[in-house]
Amino acid sequence: MAEGIFAFVPAIAALPFVSFLLALVAGKYLPKRGAIAGIAAMTGSLLISILALLSVSGIIGEPGISQEVLYQWTVGQGTFDLHFGILVDQLSALMLVIVSLISLLVHVFSLGYMNDEGETGLPRYYAELGFFSGSMLAFVMADNLLMAFMFFELVGLASYLLIGFWFRGPSPPSAAKKAFLVTRFGDYFFLIGVIAVFATFGTAGFAGSEGFPHLAEQALNGEYSVNTFFGLGEQAWFTVVGLLVLGGVMGKSAQFPFHTWLPDAMEGPTPVSALIHAATMVAAGVYLVARMYGFYAVSPTALAVIAFVGGFTALFAATMGLVKEEIKQVLAYSTISQYGYIMLALGTGGYIAGVFHLTTHAIFKALLFLGAGSVIIAMHHNEDMWDMGGLKDEMPVTYYAFLSGSLALAGILPFSGFWSKDEVLFEALIHGLGSPLLLGAWAMGLLAVFFTGFYTFRMVLLTFHGEPRSDTARDPHGVRWNVKGPLAVLGVLAAVAGAINLVPIEKLTGANIDFLHDFLDAESANAAFVGFHHYEELLKTQAGIEPSYIGGEIPTLLLSAALSLGLALAGAGLAFALYRGPDPERHTEKLGSVRDVLYNNYYQDEYQVWLAQDVGVGIARVADRFDQGVVDGTVNFVSSISLFSGDRLRRIQTGIVSNYAALVTLGLVLLLVAFGVTGGWF
Amino acid sequence: MPVPVEYYLVLSAAVFCTGLFGILTRRNALFFLMSVELMLNAANINLVAFSFMHGNLTGQVFSLFTMALAAAEVAVGIGIILVLYRNFEDVDVTKATTLRW
Repeated sequence: MAEGIFAFVPAIAALPFVSFLLALVAGKYLPKRGAIAGIAAMTGSLLISILALLSVSGIIGEPGISQEVLYQWTVGQGTFDLHFGILVDQLSALMLVIVSLISLLVHVFSLGYMNDEGETGLPRYYAELGFFSGSMLAFVMADNLLMAFMFFELVGLASYLLIGFWFRGPSPPSAAKKAFLVTRFGDYFFLIGVIAVFATFGTAGFAGSEGFPHLAEQALNGEYSVNTFFGLGEQAWFTVVGLLVLGGVMGKSAQFPFHTWLPDAMEGPTPVSALIHAATMVAAGVYLVARMYGFYAVSPTALAVIAFVGGFTALFAATMGLVKEEIKQVLAYSTISQYGYIMLALGTGGYIAGVFHLTTHAIFKALLFLGAGSVIIAMHHNEDMWDMGGLKDEMPVTYYAFLSGSLALAGILPFSGFWSKDEVLFEALIHGLGSPLLLGAWAMGLLAVFFTGFYTFRMVLLTFHGEPRSDTARDPHGVRWNVKGPLAVLGVLAAVAGAINLVPIEKLTGANIDFLHDFLDAESANAAFVGFHHYEELLKTQAGIEPSYIGGEIPTLLLSAALSLGLALAGAGLAFALYRGPDPERHTEKLGSVRDVLYNNYYQDEYQVWLAQDVGVGIARVADRFDQGVVDGTVNFVSSISLFSGDRLRRIQTGIVSNYAALVTLGLVLLLVAFGVTGGWF
Repeated sequence: MPVPVEYYLVLSAAVFCTGLFGILTRRNALFFLMSVELMLNAANINLVAFSFMHGNLTGQVFSLFTMALAAAEVAVGIGIILVLYRNFEDVDVTKATTLRW
């Protein structure tokens, strides 16, 4: 049994589920249509999460992690067991705090965005929000891959419900279906991966000496034997399994080519977008990679794929964000791009950099979406940035909070995004110097910094600066405390959250201020094989990824920081040069056909629709013909034989009693004769 | 000097065959019923004959039960014949073929 605060950890996920049930059953009678129940539940979750974080880090009591089986639903006879279990280690405690914090703020913000705007269906909204948060929190605290998979799917279901919240219009249901189907396509590979993990290791636990990452490491060292399939060696088979699980990650985290669902998901209410992008749905993918990092760290091929997909997605999505005209669309592409960075960091061995960027991104992206939500309220639900302008003076709280988030997103010193993005690129550089593939991923990530700076400040300038370009922008709708409060909290956090891991400063001055690094590298984590030090060992011995420097560590650090900051400033400066002034021009129109390609997302949707419709329907037609012809044909042929023979045989049933009597008599006589012959009567 | 059991058996076989012949050739349901009675009583004769031969009364008690059963059977049979007549205006068993396919 877990001790102290760890005994209450299951409540972190249980509380939102309770609020889900409450809002579902009695939402109509609750204050604010269930919002208060949700806020209370999330406050409880946040408090327990913070206590768990403090407890893990040793600020309260002894530092240590907790792993326990909560409910075992299948007991294997001579094979593995299936159970729900809870793992509270450094990574999951941090993520629990992030998720419950963002979810709480989103609940509060929803009071302004949904209740004050007089939306209908609010009990359903708050029920789904609670369900979403609860599923994500349970996913985060899962101690095995199967439980993680189950809640991963529930997260997908919840996002489907929320994206399609306004189901009466034509596009939200379609966007919801698209999000569901695209992520499901990736999850299909994940499911096979889960089965493969069970078949290979006989366990799916994440941590400890019985966890599958550690077993994989032992198998590669020849200390443990596992089942491999298709005649593959252990290393190759682990790569295959890792890539299968990665399918689910790429679907959820919207990595190329599964990114197409995410911009469409903007059809959902804006607070939901904030939740999806910052803390729940999309974060689930990269969190899973971090969760089973020990497993990926033994496979250099899987790491290279993660890094390259991440770097490519970072650049690819950033270019699409350049030309979008709706504020939420720009943010959607920035999310895809930023998750690309996190994947890049994880793939190049920068585990801490990845987690750090996941943390800061959760804060500033939630902030930007809530800021955009505030702007959308003010603009009477018009999202076109060309109709905005000049909102700076009308809504200062939103403006300064949004600016803080934008500076963080663009990666400008000293906002949180700078520290994390700089560390991502630094880790990618030093680990990539020995490998052209990783270096290529780093180069794409670096180039994306410039585009990020540009589209971020294009968005800020078009929305808040210049002269108002429409009547609603001249006289915007005011927002209340429930909108401003979350914005203020997140605005401050986005500015200062980088302080949890000031690695460059530490390296320059020697002051011990890399708290996140120390936290994730704690002894208790390494003892359970989920610590950074352990991962670094694995990367070195198994994947052959080692840092190397250009002229020493400090010059490389400075070079990397200067490059990323310089590019970010250049991008922001270019945007400033092009879009400042009272009435900015539509510069992207001048790009001509390039703009068309970017605006249409490189025609990714078109080819995927073609794949789904033309190719998919073609395959379905062939399969249908096979089904109808061969499968059904066989069954029908067999049944037609019995039908035919039955039709003939029933003719002996004449309905005339005398015939039956004759048959009975004849049969009896024949039987007697037969007995007589065999019995030797004659 | 009692009559040997073979005589009874021959009598019984003759009665049985008469009944069987009636069932196979007649079309009137009432003749059916009578023929069935004949066959049943042929069996009774056998029971009594063997009981007599073995000096054991069980067979005779059985034949009493059989007679009671036969009476019940006739009651049911006549009921069926009445219904048959009501539905087909006839007691010809070859007419009532509507329950087949």
